[in-house]
Amino acid sequence: MRLIPERFKHNNLFITMFTITVLIIVTVSVTITWTTIRMSEQFFFDKFSITNARVMKQLNESLDKFNYSIVIASNNLQQSVTLKEILTKEDESNVERLSSIYTMSQLMKRLEPNLDAYEVSIIVTGINGISYATDRSYWPIHDEELKNSYLTKKTYENPNKLFYQYDYRPNREDGRYIVATKALLERTSGNNYGSLYFAIKETEFKKFYSNFTSPGNNVFFVNSDGIIVSSNQSKLIGQKSNELLGYATKSGEGKNEDYIIGDFMGKEQIILMEYIPSFDMYMFNTIDKQTAFGSLIDTNKILLIVMGIVCIALIIVLLASRRLTNSLSKMVKQIENTSKHDFHQYVSVSGTYETRQIGKAFNSMLDELHEYVDQLVVSQKQRRNAELAALQQQINPHFLYNTLTSIKMMANHGSKEETESMINALISLLQNTIGNVNETVTVNQEIANLRNYVLINQKRYGNRIKVNFFVSGDCEEYKIPKLILQPFMENSFFHAFNHKPEGFIHVLIWKEGNLLICEVVDNGDGMEVSADSHLPPSNRKQEFFSGIGVRNVDERIQLTYGESYGVQISSELGEGTKVRITLPL
Amino acid sequence: MKKVLALFLVSILFLAACSSGSSKDTSGETKDSNEITVWAWDPNFNIKAMNLAKDAYKSDNPDLEIKIIENAQDDIIQKLNTSLSSGTTKGLPNIVLIEDYRAQSFLQAYPDMFHELTGTFNSDDFAQYKIAPTSVDGKNYGLPFDTGVSGLYVRTDYLEQAGYTVEDLQNMDWKKYIEIGKKVKEATGKHMLTQDPNDLGLIRMMIQSAGSWYLKDDGKTPNLAGNEALKVAFETYKEILDADLVKPISDWSQFLAGFNSGDVATVPTGNWITPSIKAEASQAGKWAVVAHPRLPGVPESVNASNLGGSSWYVLNVPGKEDAADFLAKTFGSNVEFYQTINKEIGAIGTFKPAADGEAYQAGDDFFGGQKIIADFAAWTEQIPQINYGLHTYAIEDILAVEAQNYIKGKDLDKALEDAQKQAEAQVK
Repeated sequence: MRLIPERFKHNNLFITMFTITVLIIVTVSVTITWTTIRMSEQFFFDKFSITNARVMKQLNESLDKFNYSIVIASNNLQQSVTLKEILTKEDESNVERLSSIYTMSQLMKRLEPNLDAYEVSIIVTGINGISYATDRSYWPIHDEELKNSYLTKKTYENPNKLFYQYDYRPNREDGRYIVATKALLERTSGNNYGSLYFAIKETEFKKFYSNFTSPGNNVFFVNSDGIIVSSNQSKLIGQKSNELLGYATKSGEGKNEDYIIGDFMGKEQIILMEYIPSFDMYMFNTIDKQTAFGSLIDTNKILLIVMGIVCIALIIVLLASRRLTNSLSKMVKQIENTSKHDFHQYVSVSGTYETRQIGKAFNSMLDELHEYVDQLVVSQKQRRNAELAALQQQINPHFLYNTLTSIKMMANHGSKEETESMINALISLLQNTIGNVNETVTVNQEIANLRNYVLINQKRYGNRIKVNFFVSGDCEEYKIPKLILQPFMENSFFHAFNHKPEGFIHVLIWKEGNLLICEVVDNGDGMEVSADSHLPPSNRKQEFFSGIGVRNVDERIQLTYGESYGVQISSELGEGTKVRITLPL
Repeated sequence: MKKVLALFLVSILFLAACSSGSSKDTSGETKDSNEITVWAWDPNFNIKAMNLAKDAYKSDNPDLEIKIIENAQDDIIQKLNTSLSSGTTKGLPNIVLIEDYRAQSFLQAYPDMFHELTGTFNSDDFAQYKIAPTSVDGKNYGLPFDTGVSGLYVRTDYLEQAGYTVEDLQNMDWKKYIEIGKKVKEATGKHMLTQDPNDLGLIRMMIQSAGSWYLKDDGKTPNLAGNEALKVAFETYKEILDADLVKPISDWSQFLAGFNSGDVATVPTGNWITPSIKAEASQAGKWAVVAHPRLPGVPESVNASNLGGSSWYVLNVPGKEDAADFLAKTFGSNVEFYQTINKEIGAIGTFKPAADGEAYQAGDDFFGGQKIIADFAAWTEQIPQINYGLHTYAIEDILAVEAQNYIKGKDLDKALEDAQKQAEAQVK
């Protein structure tokens, strides 16, 4: 997660959550939208192909009906002996010919009910050159033209078949025709005595299916040569379309599909195909996907709605998750900072239930921690205090031993007074240290102890170090910890005058505000004082008076009175050392 | 927070409003009252004439939009019959062209569906024979358009070969026609005329020249048995056939081919055939038009007759006033307009004042400089006025059968009586 800048560190959860939600919402919406569009498209395809297939079937039926009418009409004419006579009669007189024409017209009139429903022009031609047209203006082809046309040629090639052909009369605006042709055969001899032509205008033929077409929904009739014979796309009529013919064969292969999706006229189309055997034509129904469905499925609208919903969802998610995670990350920030505030800073309890509970738990944990630590500190202090107190009670045996040795030597020298004062001093010293169970003593008593100690030391080591006591009168009765000054006095005695032959030690005690200041000042060798005002180590254990040393004094004062009190040492080489002890009154 | 929420709700509503409000154009269908529709057939003749009328009318009322729709004559009849018989005029045009032979059947069958034109034009200005078919009970419903005045188109070159001049044919009767025909056939081997056994146009022309028709003056009673003119006409018809003057044809294109290819020496028919005759430019100068032959032995018969012809009718639908005004100011009174349609399409109207115009007086080089239009106009005025009645074509179908029987040897009186009976049974 290094990608996330530092300032977003606390929003990590939010960003992760939000990103995932956004991704999921977008994925889901896109998937659903896409699927819906695809499904509805598929639905329309199926629906269209089903209805269109049905319509095509109907179309097929009506075409069959049309074909049947023509077949009936052609059979009637084929079976008419009169017609055969007229068409084969040679060398007629004009009056006879006139009568023949009239007979033919009556014959045709009888046929009319068969073909009433359709606008069809029938032309009958005979080998004797006679011809009759029911409506020549409908299909304006001259007899000569007709005789030489490929329509007739093809008819004679297949004399047994009634089949449909495409004819184009360029001199007419709507001069496209579908012509059913049939050769008239003499049953017995198989001789051809004429031919029948049933012409229907393409515009009429179109009426079979024109109701069914719509923009993008086109119908094409393609004959076996691939020529578009009829279509609602009038411009394409008469053109050869290999494309459609290709689909005709393709559609024959894959029988199980109702429709093919393919390209036609440069557009993607759904293509339905049916072969009409009676016409020997392929009927195509092409549905332009774009035109047919483009308007049905408003993709833009769907996308707009989906985008709108996604946006709203995102905004809601943004706000909601922001609210959820905000309290959490705020708490995390607070928790992170607790160590900086010595675990005194509580976290604010807010936000959701979970975060509130976590906050409460954290706060009570802090409480317990504090309690525990406090207890620990107190017990530690007590233990240390007890240790120090115990040390204080002890008198170094070396000290006693040395002092007693000195007293013995004095007694040997015979100075009775000196010996007596030495013993007195030792007695009162021992009395005050071991005998007195109190922790604290008055300043006077402490001074008295110091005097005794000084006396003993002066007796032992001589008077080269002078000791003076200056105690402010109003301080005499204040209580101070027992033997608090003695270690410094001892220190000065044994370390301050290693080089200097003689000097003095002043002990000063006075009151300053509500502080009691005690100073032990010597003008001895001085020393290098380290920053923490501690005294250099010493191993002259045998010289110590009690278990307590210079080092312990500060610790003890602080344990007893608190941090603001203690020992300060300042010293200068060759000038002397000053020890200052600050105590509460 | 609440403000933001409110904003979203508003934006959702806005979004919904946007998507649902996909503009639905409410294009109110305001029916343009300044539009009239015309139905007619034959783009080379009637439609062209109507277009010229439209141009001519532009100066009178430039706001009126005239929509001219071409329909086959059969379609027009069918549509009119279906709509009018169900009492609706929806989808019908304002102006429709109806053949004179059929006019009465419409006017009488659907009396309220046609807008009366009496007074919008001066009926005295038109050839009188056109007024009867277009009127009911003395009220004018149709505005006469083209004349079907007939003439006998003749090949002068063939006549010359037989030793005749055009002068010999003027004001002749059918007897003389047969006589000449025989000579011509002898001299040239050509037939005199073409005939389609299904089309008794020749018979119609013959009897109208004598002021007679298939129906009596009431327009309803068949007038076949005992109709002297009809009898003479049939006799003449048979004589023509027996003289082998006829080249049989079965349809229109063969009819056209008959004279265009030079197979026949004469064409007795309406003047509207002129463009078709002139279509064969190689025959220029070889044609002339003479007056229609009269029936021999029938004193009423004149050397003028009619075949076909049609008139304009205004249907009783919104816009009829505009339509009537349009017709009145063009076909009803505009001499200049008649000159134009005559020059442009060779149409001869039945509007008498137009006959004095320069176009009508011009000679036609195709016909050897003959002033055929003027001649036709003159004959037009002589056409006997008759009431075509309601059942012209129905009776002709019956007559065609009997005509065949007669040709095959049936007694003519018997044949006509049989026809009369059938007709009475059918048109009752």
